[in-house]
Amino acid sequence: MNAVLVLVLGFIVFFIGYRWYARYIDKNVMKADAKKATPAKMYMDGVEFMPTSKNVLFGYQFKSIAGAAPIIGPIIAIQWGWLPALLWILGGALFIGWVQDYSSAMISMRNEGASFGALSHRLISPRARIILLSFIYFYLLLIAGAFGNVVVSTAVSLKAAPMAWLFLTIGGVIAGQMIYRWKKDIILTTVVCVIIALIGIFLGTVAPSDKVIGAGLANSRLLWALAACVFCYFAAVLPIWRFALPINYVASYIVFLGLFFGMIGVFILHPNFTLPAVSSFTIAIGPVWPIMFVTIACGAISGWHSIVSSSGTARQLEHETDARPVGAGVMFVEMMLALFALVIAGTIYASGAEYKAAAALGPGLIFATGVSKFLGVLGMPAALGKSYGSVMMVVLAITIMQLVIRFMRVATSELLSDVSSVFRNPHIGTFIAGILTLVLIMTGWWQYLWILFGGANQLMASLALMLVTAWLMSEGKPYAWSFYPMIFMFVTTIAALCYTSYSLLWKVASGVVKGEAVVGNTLMGLVGFFLVLAALALGVEGVKAFGRYRAARGGLKEKPAQA
Amino acid sequence: MGEGGKKGGIFGAIKEFVYGVAAHDSARFALKTRASMEHLFILITMGDMLGVPILPPYYSLRLLPYVVPQIATWKRRMLREKDLTDGLA
Repeated sequence: MNAVLVLVLGFIVFFIGYRWYARYIDKNVMKADAKKATPAKMYMDGVEFMPTSKNVLFGYQFKSIAGAAPIIGPIIAIQWGWLPALLWILGGALFIGWVQDYSSAMISMRNEGASFGALSHRLISPRARIILLSFIYFYLLLIAGAFGNVVVSTAVSLKAAPMAWLFLTIGGVIAGQMIYRWKKDIILTTVVCVIIALIGIFLGTVAPSDKVIGAGLANSRLLWALAACVFCYFAAVLPIWRFALPINYVASYIVFLGLFFGMIGVFILHPNFTLPAVSSFTIAIGPVWPIMFVTIACGAISGWHSIVSSSGTARQLEHETDARPVGAGVMFVEMMLALFALVIAGTIYASGAEYKAAAALGPGLIFATGVSKFLGVLGMPAALGKSYGSVMMVVLAITIMQLVIRFMRVATSELLSDVSSVFRNPHIGTFIAGILTLVLIMTGWWQYLWILFGGANQLMASLALMLVTAWLMSEGKPYAWSFYPMIFMFVTTIAALCYTSYSLLWKVASGVVKGEAVVGNTLMGLVGFFLVLAALALGVEGVKAFGRYRAARGGLKEKPAQA
Repeated sequence: MGEGGKKGGIFGAIKEFVYGVAAHDSARFALKTRASMEHLFILITMGDMLGVPILPPYYSLRLLPYVVPQIATWKRRMLREKDLTDGLA
């Protein structure tokens, strides 16, 4: 099977999904009205509620949702064979992914820009809001741990990555200073700071970490885990314009250029898949169902997108009709990104054994090798391409990780400030989040951590679809198009979380894992079971809410949500 | 729309997309920072509208003509239901 054919299939699914399915729902079910006032227009405060061009929002939504997940997931999932992974990416995005992204934005827009907590309170019950917020905290902890693991494994396996990462950080800090303090021209700032980042990518090839700090330190997972946590500490505690935002700004150019030219490289090279189409129903980390369906998260369906769509995008949509290109369109673009990662994993190694050897060193190596190969077609030297790919991987992971740790700092303050005022201190909140993340990175088994993250993420998606279904029921609209995807995701993710948590705790109980891995495995297993319990509790509340709305549609008086 | 307009449309769309990817977040943050300081100022000077009397009425009245255009927005922002997930917006 040729890689270009896979991308063409992706474009076909993109067309069918966006042009026909999404358009049908937008026009006939949601009945999006371009003339109706959106919250952005009604409450225009020039801050959160601000009508924004759909092209700008398209870029903003893409940047917010495209992290490391659509890349890592397919790279891991190809162990079951590229065919099941391809079918899930295409089918998931077509029937579930765009549905969640689009409808999250729509229901938030139709409810005065309310975010998920408020929507769950309004549509399900007040208890649902509390359960959802607790769920979100642990879900974000898993994101921080899983993505932190990606950063660490990339820094260890690709010795060029740390130097490139360092110079990207320097470039970002200088960008912040130039824009906000020195008031320099934005184009000059962009050119200067992107060049600094590119110099770092080059220096990574001539001064790799093992030559600069010695092989012992360069191979130390603890060192890079601490570096990632310190990086996120600064991102969470410093004024956002000084550190986090300008680094993200410079990094976005590096990532965008890499993806764009990488895709061109795929079309020029048009390699064939070398890994088998189907390998086995069950592999080391579990059976294809349910595990593969949570391993590939963002490329098919992701709960993270619903949080971004409802909290950010919905408050900026200028017209209701913009929800389809921004919500659904961006999800299909992310599907293409996942296919790009699948092509990388499936074509760059000559055999399954070679792939397995690379996978043992982490997904960052596989991605960087692939980027190097496809950029090499355009003339970039292999070592430079690998350095470029490595910093792309670090950036994609750490930009989400720093946002998550910043949010966990806020969440710690909100949730625990009544217990003790010490939790209001931003340093304490960030320290707690950082320590928990460090424990997961150092003691967690990275593939299981990724599956737990995927399970929590997809479960968040099923909860988002539950909210959408509840709203559709309350409005008397057809709801099968969100109800059945919700059921599928709910059952699959609960099964995956139970299977993985049980596997982890069984390994601890039977003595298979020893030493510090006991801590990580126990923590991961318990978090997994907590998420299952929270989801089941929310599911019960959801069923009650569905019953209320169906009874109301049947002509009985609707009861208000009870605490 | 003529060819020139169509090309301008496509290039304009690409320009806006790149702005959305790279800079929209920063612009929103700058606006939020400015707005939070403005709203804090209005809370101090006009807080009695929300039942929080801080400044003596004489000074509030002196400042009233300057803040009138923003009062509706400010009240809505102060009284709007807030949620933890707004932190991710």
